Amino acid sequence: MPKLTIDNRSIDVPPGTKVIDAAEQLGIMIPRFCYHPALGSVGACRVCAVKVLEGRAKGIKMSCMLDAEDGMVVSTTDAEVVDYRRYVIEWLMLNHPHDCPVCDEGGHCLLQDTTVSGGHGLRRYQGPKRTHNDQDLGPLVQHEMNRCIQCYRCVRYYREYTGYEDLGVMGIGRRVYYGRFQDGTLESPFAGNLTDVCPTGVYTDKPSRFKGRRWDFERTPGICIHCSLGCAITVDARYREVVRHEARFNPFVNGHFICDRGRYGYPYASAAERPWQAALDGQSIDGPTALQAAADRLTAVAAEHGSRAVAVAGSTRCSLEAMAELSRACRGQGWRGPVFFEETRHARAVGTAANHLLSGPAVGLPAVEAADLVIVAGVDPVHEAPMLALALRQAWRRGAAVVIVDPRPVALPFDFAHRPLPPGAIGPWLEGLGGAAPVDDNKDQDDLGRRFRESDHPVIVAGTDILPAAALAQAADLAAGRVAAGQKAGLFCILPGPNAFGAALLDEDHDGLGQVIADIESGAVKALVLVESDAAWRYPNQARLANALARLDLLIVLDYLASPVVEAAHVFLPTTTVYESGGVFINSGGRAQQAVTALRGGRPITQTGQGGHPPRVFEPDIPGAGQQAAWAVVRALAAAVAGEASPGDLSPLEDLGQLHPALTVITPAPLPPEGLIVTGGFSSLPTEPEAVASDAGDAPGLEIVWTERIFGSEPLAARAPALRELQETPFLLIGEGEAAAWQLADGAMVAIGAGEPPWKLVVRVVTDMADGIVVLPRLPGWQQVVLPDGRLQPEDIHQRS
Amino acid sequence: MLTEELRTALEAKIAGAAHPQEYVVDVLFALQDHYGHLTDEAVAEAAQLVGMPVVAVEELTTFYPFLYREPVGRYVINVCDSVVCWMDGHESLQNHLMERLGIAMGETTADGLFTLLPVCCIGYCDRAPAILVNKKVYGELTPEKLDDLLETLRREAE
Amino acid sequence: MTTTYPQILFQNRHADRIATLEEYAASGGYEALRQMIAGGDRAQVQAAIQEATLLGRGGAAFPMGIKLSTVAADAPFPRYLVCNADEMEPGTFKDRVLLHADPHQLIEGMVLTGFAIQAAKGIIFIRPEYENAARILEREVALARQAGYLGEKILGSDFSFEIDVHRSGGRYICGEVTAQLNALMGKRPNPQQPPPYPTESGLWGRPTVIQNVETLSCVPHIVRNGAQWFKDLALTESGAGTKLFAVSGHVNRPGCYELPMGVPLSEIIEEHAGGMRPGSEFKACLPGGASTQFLTRQFYDIPMDFDSLKKAGHRLGTGAIMIFDHKTCMVAATLNLMDFFARESCGWCTPCREGLPYIRDLLQRIERGEGEAAFIPMLEEMSKYLWNAYCAFAPGAVSPLQGLLTYFRDEVEEHITAHRCPFQASGSGALDNRSQTD
Ligand SMILES: Cc1cc2nc3c(=O)[nH]c(=O)nc-3n(C[C@H](O)[C@H](O)[C@H](O)COP(=O)(O)O)c2cc1C
Ligand code: SF4
Ligand code: FES
Repeated sequence: MPKLTIDNRSIDVPPGTKVIDAAEQLGIMIPRFCYHPALGSVGACRVCAVKVLEGRAKGIKMSCMLDAEDGMVVSTTDAEVVDYRRYVIEWLMLNHPHDCPVCDEGGHCLLQDTTVSGGHGLRRYQGPKRTHNDQDLGPLVQHEMNRCIQCYRCVRYYREYTGYEDLGVMGIGRRVYYGRFQDGTLESPFAGNLTDVCPTGVYTDKPSRFKGRRWDFERTPGICIHCSLGCAITVDARYREVVRHEARFNPFVNGHFICDRGRYGYPYASAAERPWQAALDGQSIDGPTALQAAADRLTAVAAEHGSRAVAVAGSTRCSLEAMAELSRACRGQGWRGPVFFEETRHARAVGTAANHLLSGPAVGLPAVEAADLVIVAGVDPVHEAPMLALALRQAWRRGAAVVIVDPRPVALPFDFAHRPLPPGAIGPWLEGLGGAAPVDDNKDQDDLGRRFRESDHPVIVAGTDILPAAALAQAADLAAGRVAAGQKAGLFCILPGPNAFGAALLDEDHDGLGQVIADIESGAVKALVLVESDAAWRYPNQARLANALARLDLLIVLDYLASPVVEAAHVFLPTTTVYESGGVFINSGGRAQQAVTALRGGRPITQTGQGGHPPRVFEPDIPGAGQQAAWAVVRALAAAVAGEASPGDLSPLEDLGQLHPALTVITPAPLPPEGLIVTGGFSSLPTEPEAVASDAGDAPGLEIVWTERIFGSEPLAARAPALRELQETPFLLIGEGEAAAWQLADGAMVAIGAGEPPWKLVVRVVTDMADGIVVLPRLPGWQQVVLPDGRLQPEDIHQRS
Repeated sequence: MLTEELRTALEAKIAGAAHPQEYVVDVLFALQDHYGHLTDEAVAEAAQLVGMPVVAVEELTTFYPFLYREPVGRYVINVCDSVVCWMDGHESLQNHLMERLGIAMGETTADGLFTLLPVCCIGYCDRAPAILVNKKVYGELTPEKLDDLLETLRREAE
Repeated sequence: MTTTYPQILFQNRHADRIATLEEYAASGGYEALRQMIAGGDRAQVQAAIQEATLLGRGGAAFPMGIKLSTVAADAPFPRYLVCNADEMEPGTFKDRVLLHADPHQLIEGMVLTGFAIQAAKGIIFIRPEYENAARILEREVALARQAGYLGEKILGSDFSFEIDVHRSGGRYICGEVTAQLNALMGKRPNPQQPPPYPTESGLWGRPTVIQNVETLSCVPHIVRNGAQWFKDLALTESGAGTKLFAVSGHVNRPGCYELPMGVPLSEIIEEHAGGMRPGSEFKACLPGGASTQFLTRQFYDIPMDFDSLKKAGHRLGTGAIMIFDHKTCMVAATLNLMDFFARESCGWCTPCREGLPYIRDLLQRIERGEGEAAFIPMLEEMSKYLWNAYCAFAPGAVSPLQGLLTYFRDEVEEHITAHRCPFQASGSGALDNRSQTD
């Protein structure tokens, strides 16, 4: 461990530590532009200069390029080096347009800070400045090249870190230009990080452009709830509206970055169509009256049909608080449920995954990055858990091999091996890899199995969207087997939704909404309480859902999103978003993380004042406010039904261990910033292995694999106008042979299903796909497609053109 | 569009290479000769030929002075303005050229014949002041010699 | 009367044509290759080069023998040899003359060096302005291959070696070793600070040796005639071999002369370059290209070898001597040089990318009579701080400026106090009608 002295203070650091980082550990922040911990050192900007007083090479050196040496003595305050840095800052400012008053970066600009702290206050350069034309980089990122200080961070981030290839460095000398070959939308779904990575205002957040400066914003630590990874974000709010997300550093989850779905997905919270007001039989009404009406009607249904005639369904976007109250309400009132998943197979798969994660070698994204071999089974990373794709790329950059076992064609920004197996064949394939018996004398499997057994820290990533529960058990066994054999193996799962892990723990019967619908159809269920449920978005058979809901005596809906179920509700009770109430979410790694309340709620001023000054009407309340968190509404409802007083201030996080032993670690006390790992004690799963759909060969038609898309599938972000611009045209992926047999040509437009209007798709004939399947995206419109047996027949395809 | 002949020739050149990127500048020069300058199409074709992202090729076309992303005249005249030619009267030479052709540095004559570009030391300091015409050197120039040269080029073009 | 010296690299130089393979062979060419291949002793080639203290002729004067020894015995294959024929240092044209005079000694030098380090391929990286030389090289390489000096199983041995000619797209920075490797790999030619050194991980991550044309051309002669012979060619104890001096500027006979290392500057100017032009008096020269400092009258008799100049606080660089007469405005000359460097800066690091245009702006103001006294300390500070740039480009770039401020400070001050250029007639406002063409 080299021990060095910086500004008369000494510190021990691990070998290989750069002086710039060693200084930071001492609290000495050496200025930097090109250096970024995630991107490494390149020594381009020269502003991190220090003076080495003792060491192998003395004099002015760049601290980002300098390894700490034992006995080294470094000064950051030496007069000459301070003067040198002052010059570097002056040089960087030569061409800067000084447009800080109209620059969105103003106030959190590294260049601004460094210029001021470096003492460069007087402009001496009198020559002409170089100027640039900007490019239109699409709906997310604004380009403003005149502000550029040529630190190369953007291109290094974009090309090296994320692996996308449409941003480059053009020109030479002082004309160096960062941009695309031509105007156009940045292709990387991680492009938004450019706005964080850029130390000045070249890349700024486009949707929030001119909405405020950082000091205008209420900034709170949040958790992204747009997929199961739970990346850390900072929520920027102003005028009762979330206007921006920034990536927040979390070394245990996302590191420095987030994806564009997470960054730009927030507008649902202030959408004009958001249902702010309670409703009874379609009429707006005040919240307490609606709540009492709901309680009265529930009591009536229970009195007539018994309490089991009341069913409760939440979703995987419910906070743990809401889930806990749902669970307590069901236990207390004898209601059915709660269910959280739309489809039973998801409930089973996630339950199985959670079970193994609680007891097995669960790891997080950092372990994926550090792995030397990653087997990704049944996951399309970019679309289901975008930051996983970046973690895999970092593993690949460090030399890891990545193998994707997935029926779908998968695109990733690095080289990987793809085994296109049908969903049902993936579990046995994983089992074969464990070494039990090579499948089919498969040499490839043998080789991979050997590499797997020989690798130091392999990680298995398994997805719950398309894999059956049995395959998740097989994935977990594979990882556990290697741990037993002494390897540092890990298991990482991708789950459907930000709190799917929590849902699996509180899910009583491991059934899905499908079972509830069946129970409605059979007449067993007469009343349904839907809490922040995405049934109208995610349930694969909307016609059946609508019919079932229509048969109910009572439909109570709690939500903050407008949807067909809100409209169908007899009683609607508005709830708050995560921004207004915060909440705990357990990510796919079993890490419980807490989002902090970011704003007070109420309609945004842009809506109440039509974009101008808020209306000059004097009321005691915030216009549009008055919603409560789902957990509070559920608790009040249950209490009203029971005829008890609501337990007021008691935190919904009290006594969680009674609901599930793994939740014991979570208490009403604020969670630590890095969250808490839930662990231990889970065995409530039905144990009989699920039958694998292996008769696919004989059944007519092709098995449909529904697939997530990064933009358009996840119901919250799908409402963001900027992201809607990036949504793909729905597509039908079909293999070459099948396409020929069905006479489908690549690029042809078709419609499928019986929905109205028909769901239009473009045909894509592909080769890297499992046999016997077609792939269809969960993009708006997919819900209309009624294909009861999950298979597609040629006659389902119509309107060919 | 590339002619089939040129495409085949370039593909053949690249085919055996362990690292086709080594040939990117050669390919760009060939396409530049073919199109007159590097059109957007040419840059995209070069990228495809050598298997590089198109922006990575653009990173080079905008770096190297002998790759032209804008149309140039039939004769590109590079006037050396480095120190030895400067000593030996590059300035009056350049003024003479601009006057004779009626264009400024960086411009192309209306008839599309001549483009004037500055160039740094071309390694013919023993024959200063010197210029390049389509990469061919002319040294020890005087206004008279320049006039003759322009005349010859004009005639050659006809 | 001109002193004559043994011509080694130029022994086959003809006024108007290129030496043929036969002529080269007749003068002893490819003999060294034959011997070495027959003996098969790679270490011998390296030892000869090391003993001969052959210093790199491309400007940095790094001993070639030491560089070769940094290719580890167990370094991975394939290994590469790159011949740096970029020669973009202003004032320098020796490599061009050499390539046009006798290309086969370069080819033989490359094969021998390739043999010494067990390289599989040699690449000649040549600037686009030297298209003619590039064609000559391609032709002569093919002839050498036909004659069995190149290609598969050279001269029947088990050593195979290929040579490719790679045309650059231009740009001075491409002459810098690591930038050149990036250029060869189709990347932007930004330099890359070691470690790793190119001899460990260069082209495509393989061990790569880069040498200048002139350096490589010395190799066959050293191997054939021995290290001591080579050292004895120099006039000074500290020198070794001959040097090609490319002389230009206000002299009667600009041109490239092969002279012993250590020949006095005054002799080069007065004898070999035919003396100052009529009406011209020596004022200063740049001794080794644009990135060296001005040598003034006080150094007129200095022995021109790497060591002597270093001792005097100067650099021999490429040995390209540009001579300025007494009518030259040194501010304007330096401005021209700074304009060159500002335009050619690769743009990677801040001091060079921004500092050089800043310096150019200040010099231009001074030259136009708009200078201020405060500019001088600013120029001084910047010329010092540009040494803390990323690569050797920037320190080279400010060398003439440092020379200006050291030796011609009064001239700078005169511009400022008089509010005009005292040499008005000779090239004032050098950049006026270019208005910053970078
Ligand atoms: C900015 C810059 C430009 C250079 N240009 C050339 C060049 O054109 N030709 C050359 O041989 N060396 C050039 N060099 C020197 C090379 O970096 C390197 O030292 C040389 O090619 C090694 O060969 P040598 O040891 O045989 O001289 C340049 C160096 C720098 C920093
Ligand atoms: S010193 Fe100049 S040439 Fe060298 S890296 Fe920096 S900008 Fe590029
Ligand atoms: S941070 Fe060290 S050079 Fe930029």
